[in-house]
Amino acid sequence: MSEPHIVVRDLSKTYRVPEREAGLLASLRGLFQRSYRDVEAVRGVTFDVAPGEMVGFIGPNGAGKTTTLKMLSGLLYPTAGEACVLGFSPWERRPDYLRQISMVMGNKSQMLWDIPPLDTFRVLGEIYHVPSAQAQRTVDELVALLEMEDLLTKPVRNLSLGERMKCELVAGLLHRPQVLFLDEPTLGLDVSMQGRLRRFLAEYNRQRDVTVILTSHYMADVVALCPRVILIHHGQLLYDGELQGLAQRLAPFKLIRVALRRPEWDPEGLPPGVDIVESENGRVTLRVGRAQAPALTAHLLNTLPVADLAVEDPPIEAVIDQVYQEGVS
Amino acid sequence: MYHLRLVGQFARASVQNELAYRANFWISLLHSSLGLITGVLGLVVVFGQVETIRGWDLPSTLALLGVYQILAALRGLFIGPSLEALAGMDGEIWTGNFDFTLLRPVDAQFLASVRHWRPFALIDLVLGLGVLVAAVYQLATALSPLRLVAFLLTSLAAVTILYALQLAFSALTLWNPGFLFTWVLDGLFNMARYPVGLYPGWLRIVLTWLVPVGIMTTVPAQALTGTLPPGTLAGSLGAALVLLLAASALFRFGLRRYASASS
Repeated sequence: MSEPHIVVRDLSKTYRVPEREAGLLASLRGLFQRSYRDVEAVRGVTFDVAPGEMVGFIGPNGAGKTTTLKMLSGLLYPTAGEACVLGFSPWERRPDYLRQISMVMGNKSQMLWDIPPLDTFRVLGEIYHVPSAQAQRTVDELVALLEMEDLLTKPVRNLSLGERMKCELVAGLLHRPQVLFLDEPTLGLDVSMQGRLRRFLAEYNRQRDVTVILTSHYMADVVALCPRVILIHHGQLLYDGELQGLAQRLAPFKLIRVALRRPEWDPEGLPPGVDIVESENGRVTLRVGRAQAPALTAHLLNTLPVADLAVEDPPIEAVIDQVYQEGVS
Repeated sequence: MYHLRLVGQFARASVQNELAYRANFWISLLHSSLGLITGVLGLVVVFGQVETIRGWDLPSTLALLGVYQILAALRGLFIGPSLEALAGMDGEIWTGNFDFTLLRPVDAQFLASVRHWRPFALIDLVLGLGVLVAAVYQLATALSPLRLVAFLLTSLAAVTILYALQLAFSALTLWNPGFLFTWVLDGLFNMARYPVGLYPGWLRIVLTWLVPVGIMTTVPAQALTGTLPPGTLAGSLGAALVLLLAASALFRFGLRRYASASS
């Protein structure tokens, strides 16, 4: 097996942030005396990413996802721990390293605002030493994949959010990076634009075998693109593995969907510890502890006129929501 | 060569950006002309009353004004726009847009210093050169090649000092992103409009040794008029080098504190 592209060991980052109380008096006091507190944004995170892998980095707001990505892209110095990306220590920010990575952020723009995207691409091509013929070829390929021919000559400030995001992706990929950090690339986009960008990223990863770490609050992004997810919460790694395994590992319950031959049935006959999620016209969804699921399935088949029955893991959104709200036991 | 090509690309993109707002050309022309006219007029009024002030006559003070105007033009052309984009509440350090400078495979200090150009500042440069030429014509003695070389070298030191001060004040933003340190520099730079010898003793020390804006204009003007005290040429070149190294070190050290608008 080839060496991992990204190796992270016990990576931590603590920010020192100013504290301010509300009110004018407190603000005036703050002019002369500041108090600070330490915020542990990332706490001892460890993982590897193999070449060509697409990994979803998920967690609630403030979990430490973006901070981790920024350390891996060399923007932030860690407080402790190590990281090695493509054989480089990211925060040394060596040109040979920076030429091989890219970071695209949904909430920040690298485009020059008052001139057409093509001009930004030209400047970036020069910065990254991309020969002009190759830059042109790459832009043509990406523009075709993203279906954005008509945007190239409009000033960036006149583009919609989705159109601008397409330009950000071209700008980020112009130098053909081997490792791509995507921080909320579909933020604020409508559903069809989200879908188009997802298809583009999947196709690009397939064609170029680029290693990708993606953070997104839209689980649909992660489900569509990332076979593997890393869940981070309060700066700590809670789960690292297949997306499907996340539900098994973190959700202590299963959903049993039953279609009855007759709509009427008696809920009183259910064993204790079973929740009815919904019941309508003979279609019943029950939530039960993972260990209880086989016994309940047998009980339902024996006592009810079952036409169809399925045992499922809960939807990934529900699992994530539960983790975000309650943490992991 | 690569760095020169990059500067060319940034300048070209900035020209395109600026030309999107054509009215700014006329406003810049008006602003620069008014600034210069009031400056020259002030000198003419003062020197209508007296021959010299602490050894400075009209041609030499005019030469100093020309140097000031040229330095202000260079500051407005690229040093200011590039480095001031880092500072303030909507500055790149506060908003985190500085990320895109740090992500590039180019020296961060170089990139931070040459990204933005304001081509309309060339108006100031032309006006400043005009004032300088007018001053030279009024000098009592002809400009010798030796004095010209001394003037060019001290001017080089002046531009280096200006850049180093701007870099240092902008680097302080990495410690306190919202604070407009560059405004402090604006105030001090304005003091370079007049010969450092006109200020009270304590201020003269500050403007020569602490924040050497005085050296920036007074010394080149002295070189041009042939009144440069011995050792000053070497001293100003040395001061420029020390300041440049210190400001670069401060900037690089500050980068470790960059929080990229997180938390």
